Amino acid sequence: MNDPLSAKRRLALAAAASTVLIVVAMALAPLSPELRAYARGLAFAVLAGLSIMAVAFLVALPLGALAASGPRIFDAALRFVCDLVGSLPTVFVAAVFWAGTSKTWSFVCALGLLRGLEQAWLLRCEIVRIEAEDPESVPHGLGRTPLVPFLRRRLSASLGPLLVSASFSVAWLTALDAAVSQAGLRPPSALATWGSLLGGPQPSPFPALLAAGSVAWLTVALHALFRPPRIT
Amino acid sequence: MVALSVGMFWASASYARRPGIKPTSPFAALPVFFNPRPVGVRELATSAVHAIAFGGRPAVAARIALARLGGAALPYVLPALDTLDPRSRERVALALTPVAVRMEVASFEELADGAQAVLFWTRFWQDRAIDFRAASVRHLASRLAERSIALRREDLIHVDTYALPALIEALGQVNTPDDVRRVERLNSVLAHITELPVACPPNASVSDARRAVDTWLDFWQLHGSDYSALDGPRRLAATFVETQYGKWLAAVLRGGLGRTRSGEHAWDLVTQGLATTSFLLFVGLGGGFALGVAWTRFERRSHQFAARVASAIAGTALAAIPCATFVRLFAGSGAELFSASCLVTLTTAAWVSRHLARSTMSQTVSPIAAAFSVSAPLGATYPPFVLSAIVLVELMFRLPGLGRTAALSLASGDVNAWMAASLALALASLLLRQAADLLRPRAAQSPRQSPLESP
Repeated sequence: MNDPLSAKRRLALAAAASTVLIVVAMALAPLSPELRAYARGLAFAVLAGLSIMAVAFLVALPLGALAASGPRIFDAALRFVCDLVGSLPTVFVAAVFWAGTSKTWSFVCALGLLRGLEQAWLLRCEIVRIEAEDPESVPHGLGRTPLVPFLRRRLSASLGPLLVSASFSVAWLTALDAAVSQAGLRPPSALATWGSLLGGPQPSPFPALLAAGSVAWLTVALHALFRPPRIT
Repeated sequence: MVALSVGMFWASASYARRPGIKPTSPFAALPVFFNPRPVGVRELATSAVHAIAFGGRPAVAARIALARLGGAALPYVLPALDTLDPRSRERVALALTPVAVRMEVASFEELADGAQAVLFWTRFWQDRAIDFRAASVRHLASRLAERSIALRREDLIHVDTYALPALIEALGQVNTPDDVRRVERLNSVLAHITELPVACPPNASVSDARRAVDTWLDFWQLHGSDYSALDGPRRLAATFVETQYGKWLAAVLRGGLGRTRSGEHAWDLVTQGLATTSFLLFVGLGGGFALGVAWTRFERRSHQFAARVASAIAGTALAAIPCATFVRLFAGSGAELFSASCLVTLTTAAWVSRHLARSTMSQTVSPIAAAFSVSAPLGATYPPFVLSAIVLVELMFRLPGLGRTAALSLASGDVNAWMAASLALALASLLLRQAADLLRPRAAQSPRQSPLESP
């Protein structure tokens, strides 16, 4: 079945969604302090979401590839680290990051690292699965896949789960931020974001609704943009 | 489990050290995992003697510290008197006057003059140095524990805090009326030596005696190293034991996973919260995963492009909108547990369906096979997120679960409660991962080509 949305259309959709949001935010910002907070939250969500995606890709691609096709020690190490980090509700990890980092961007990078570990595991599982299912892949064992065929065929075909996960980066960040605020674990001096709008003690309904809708809007756009490669 | 507990403890210690907040843990001054320079009674006594000898403002605090250290410091302070100049010697001897009064070997009037005090302590050490031996003090404590004789009590009071390790060890378990009598005798000496008002009145009940023993064990856990000499292997062990993590581990080994700020055993918190959290986890995840698979199946089988797009957008939006928004909408609705399990189920379903719908593998196999196939990678990534949702719903609906306990104890700095609740949550998460790993091989059994795909 043909894909009704081409790559260009998806990119245009994502760009249009972001533009609409930014224009709406700029138009609403002067009206009230709550809407100014919404506009500031939008800037943070977009910039921090992009940063998290970038850091996560930087971490996930080499780690996932090494764990799937490199020496077994990388696989064991990644499994161990993922088990360790993933055993705690993410809201607590985020709260500790907020408390431990003095700057907002350190917090964002730490979240990107955390996201990168999760995505590295997704990538590793997908590469291993494709290697196991592909009859032409000889040999199948970890640590024996030649590099060039691996990069050309395996890695590009294995990016699906990674891209799906990446499309939820803004939503993941906002959900965590809101959860940390709602649990009362957010530092009082932390930057005002959508998380504080949604999870604060007494949120104003309109900006909160706007923020929740914007997260959904951005995620749908990113989800449409990051379509995984199709198997032919 | 060791790695997990280290990770959890690091998280708690890092959160407690956040800027602008005064740490509430009594062990906050200790290093978290490794203590390169553990401090025992020898180091404390030596530093107090030097401060008192030099005089000035630091000497005031040093005098208080030396009086608190008491008899345990005498084996290091009294032999060092000869090394000091006469004026400093008198200052140190006078600083020991409260100790002599507590030991019931002299009165304030007898030691009012510096020269008199020096003479007294020199003679005291010549006569009584032999009493300050661990074996003889342990023998005295065990004899007092067996039977009450006034002379044994006096002998123990004469060595003051030097007898603390032996007295604490002699407290033992409290199960019978005989144990209660033993605790009464030992408690009387301990309260005198430490000047702490720990009550264990005559004819106390078993629970009263247990409470008194717990208080002394807490005291010893907090201050034990101040009254113990760290030599040889003990110094080596102290590099680990005299840390925040070592203190927590010691509390766990005492039983009941340690005690919380409110005084109850942390294990009791886990048993109270386990039912609610397990219910949310298994109903939410079990229902959520199945619902996610069904959702993807519906989306794939729908022949109308608009329906598939609508389903995809609805699913993505539902997965994307922070759980906090929904939680706030339903808070105060009445049916808390029902609302909470519905929210967790829906969050999981939306999350799983989006990953299944857009995962590469779902283009070639059925959603059910894909669900089993992706269970391992998804099992590693979504439980922490779903557990976060559980923490939120428990907090907002005031459900007595582990997530709520963990969040509240992390915020308040109650280390024992945090560790118990978070380790229980971590174990649940690890079990889910193992379950996901067990499901994975089934994917290979039923692969088939799917004619439809998600938009």
